[in-house]
Amino acid sequence: MKREFKVVGKNIHRVDAFKKVTGRAIYPEDIFMENMAYGKTLRSTIAHGYVSLDTREAEKIDGVLGIFTYKDVPNNRYGVVYKDQEVFVSKKVKRVGDPLAFVVAENEKLCDLALEKIKVYYEEIEGVFDPVEAMEEDAPKVHGKSNILYHFKIRKGDVEEGFRRSHVIVENTYKTHMVDHAFLQPEAGIGYIDEEGRVAVIVSTQYPHYDMEEIASTLNIPIDQVRVINAYVGGAFGGREDISLQIHLALAAKVLKRPVKTIYSREESFLAHSKRHAMVMRYKTGADKEGNLLAMETVIIGDTGAYASWGENVMRKAGVHATGPYYIPNVKVDSYAVYTNNPFAGAVRGFGATQVPVAYEQQMDALAVKLGMDPVTIRMKNIFKVGSETATGQILTEGVPLEECLSKLVEAMGYPYGKEAYR
Amino acid sequence: MINIKLNVNGKDYSLEIEEDKRLIDVLREDLRFTGVKEGCSEGECGACSVIMDGRIVNSCLVMAVQANGSSIVTVEGLVKDGELDPVQRAFIEKGATQCGYCTPGFIMAARAFLNRAKDPTREEIREAISGNLCRCTGYNKIVDAIEEAYRYEKGI
Amino acid sequence: MIVKQAKSVEDALELLSHYGNCKIIAGGTDIIIQMNEKKVQPKVLIDISKVEELKKIEEDGDFIKIGSAVTYTDIIESSIFEGNLSGFKKACRLVGSPQIRNRGTIGGNIVNASPAADSVPPLIALGATIILESKNNIREVKVEDYFSHSETFGIREYEILTAIRFRKPKGVLTFAKLGLRKALAISRISIAALVELDKDNKVSFVRIASGSIGRYPMREHELEEFLQGKVFDDAVIDEAVKVLQGVMDVRLANRSSLPYKRRAVEAVLKEALGEVRK
Repeated sequence: MKREFKVVGKNIHRVDAFKKVTGRAIYPEDIFMENMAYGKTLRSTIAHGYVSLDTREAEKIDGVLGIFTYKDVPNNRYGVVYKDQEVFVSKKVKRVGDPLAFVVAENEKLCDLALEKIKVYYEEIEGVFDPVEAMEEDAPKVHGKSNILYHFKIRKGDVEEGFRRSHVIVENTYKTHMVDHAFLQPEAGIGYIDEEGRVAVIVSTQYPHYDMEEIASTLNIPIDQVRVINAYVGGAFGGREDISLQIHLALAAKVLKRPVKTIYSREESFLAHSKRHAMVMRYKTGADKEGNLLAMETVIIGDTGAYASWGENVMRKAGVHATGPYYIPNVKVDSYAVYTNNPFAGAVRGFGATQVPVAYEQQMDALAVKLGMDPVTIRMKNIFKVGSETATGQILTEGVPLEECLSKLVEAMGYPYGKEAYR
Repeated sequence: MINIKLNVNGKDYSLEIEEDKRLIDVLREDLRFTGVKEGCSEGECGACSVIMDGRIVNSCLVMAVQANGSSIVTVEGLVKDGELDPVQRAFIEKGATQCGYCTPGFIMAARAFLNRAKDPTREEIREAISGNLCRCTGYNKIVDAIEEAYRYEKGI
Repeated sequence: MIVKQAKSVEDALELLSHYGNCKIIAGGTDIIIQMNEKKVQPKVLIDISKVEELKKIEEDGDFIKIGSAVTYTDIIESSIFEGNLSGFKKACRLVGSPQIRNRGTIGGNIVNASPAADSVPPLIALGATIILESKNNIREVKVEDYFSHSETFGIREYEILTAIRFRKPKGVLTFAKLGLRKALAISRISIAALVELDKDNKVSFVRIASGSIGRYPMREHELEEFLQGKVFDDAVIDEAVKVLQGVMDVRLANRSSLPYKRRAVEAVLKEALGEVRK
């Protein structure tokens, strides 16, 4: 007998659907407050170098209410894992788009005018834009003494022995590129002092609680004096995990005691938030005559750009997923997150698990070609099942319906797997 | 500053505006029809789509002065006597909205299309919404919803 | 910046001669973006989008006259561009998106002079001319010359493009385009062909124009010379592809896009010429 559920099997309307289809869903840019000012960010136009500003002329413009720089921030450092980002650059610019100052004025046009009037002096220094080069001893350093932020290792079995016993070995290097989330709603927010005198920011964010902590710590105020209110979020996909305008708005509202609103243009949105890690993946994979995988060795280098963001976590995940859904007895993985002067990379859907399939799946195809096998059969032979052990030693005890999934897929495609049809 | 007359969602407005404003700026800032969204400012994303004199346009690519004397319909204007437009109903019913930011633009593009469509095919619907981007990737449900809206209107 | 709404062509020309640093706005789909990016910063913007006399499509004996503020949608919905002229409709249908086609104008597509402008190759293939008016003068310029000799035939500061004119052709006008996606794609290659065949299936008249295979849309004379008088069959079309590739090898030498475009052009040219036979 079929059981009736309240939700399962029913067409349930989204709770927010009515507001969204009538235009009543309020995103931060849709809020207009009494006596509201506007804020715009001055950003670096070079990738690596020392910077200083002269804001005097801009400050004299009638209607410009404040120009905030690193000097106005009690604790200038923040970041989701490592506090390696500055609210405003104090000395060294590390990428194109680093915030240098935040201008607040009566209207947006005055903000633009003030931005033009700020004199920016750069002393450019050599940058590093390739993560492989960035790992070399003599490469320009983005932070501190080494550009290597993180090194993740997996050592399972004996890869040398595995390759010795292999009938076929394929070795290739794969590269994936940087990707932007391009969520449809560019960053926007409004900072103000609430009815109880607290600093409040309405923003579209993935982590209101992190934002609160970062605002409290950078402005050096108790966390119970900070409110972060999440408005509707126009897509995020990981791109709203890092701070963008939250601290700028909180600072300006706190100092000016007025509501301050900021809306990024699409161009500024691209400059402001993280990107998907570009990766260089060197893979060596070996299998026996029957197509059983015996060994895999890989070095995965992720370009985390100017800041760590979630680079460590993303590159760990890339390393953990490096074998793909295939059992391999001997595995050696070295996965790195490396600083460069490129846009910073962080969370994007998949979080490191998205890039590695480009490599490990093509390795499977390359092995299949060498063995004269079809690409489905070689996968079926090695695919994770209940009881399989992953490269990290985890035993998969339940919920591993990969064989079933792949067979259904092949069936739906009408792919004559296992037959000579291949090649 | 310049004076313009607009009819928005059935109501006449006489406005004094800054001349360099675009239609989207007047709709959002002066008249507070904030259902009109700005995603790209260059006609690629369609989030700012409104119906102007019966035609779907990107309100970010129309100067406000150019709309002088025109009739504009925004997503806010589709609700009639408290009743949702069939397109709005279908978007709810078919789960065609995710983050919601592209939704007003898609609904207006669909509305403009259905005003002239006859037994639309899925291909024609896709063409009609080709000027709108959804980044949460809900296109299939949006096409489903527009087909459904057509059925509501024809009582089929 | 001030914005003036012109009520008539005369009015627009008067405004244009009266103010300095003016820009004409019609559909606005290009100029508003350029203004946002501060690439153009006119003191005065003259809007011609509501000038009725510029929004007409007229048949005048053997000629067709299109007002410069006619939109792509107007062309698509017009009954004039059927049959042997449907290639022009196809070109307009492949422009941008519904939103862009509802605003973007034929005149704007010409004066913005993008090498990828989709409506231009069909107009060149049709041998169309444009009418450029100023307060004291009217010039008629071939669309082809407008692009190839812009220093002489290009639009001047105080002129307005008011109309496009061409003689109704006997042959069939076709169009094909390659974009990176279906909507809102700038043409990577576009080709328009006007071909007339005699009773022996021989090419008795041909005019071919391309977009994005050079710095501006242009006539493909070598291709025309090759096709003239030939029997219009598959073998000749295959040969025609090679002729055009040879032209591209010279014209696009040193361009990174050449290896891609010389391969891709095969399908585009075959589509354009293939439609002549339909």
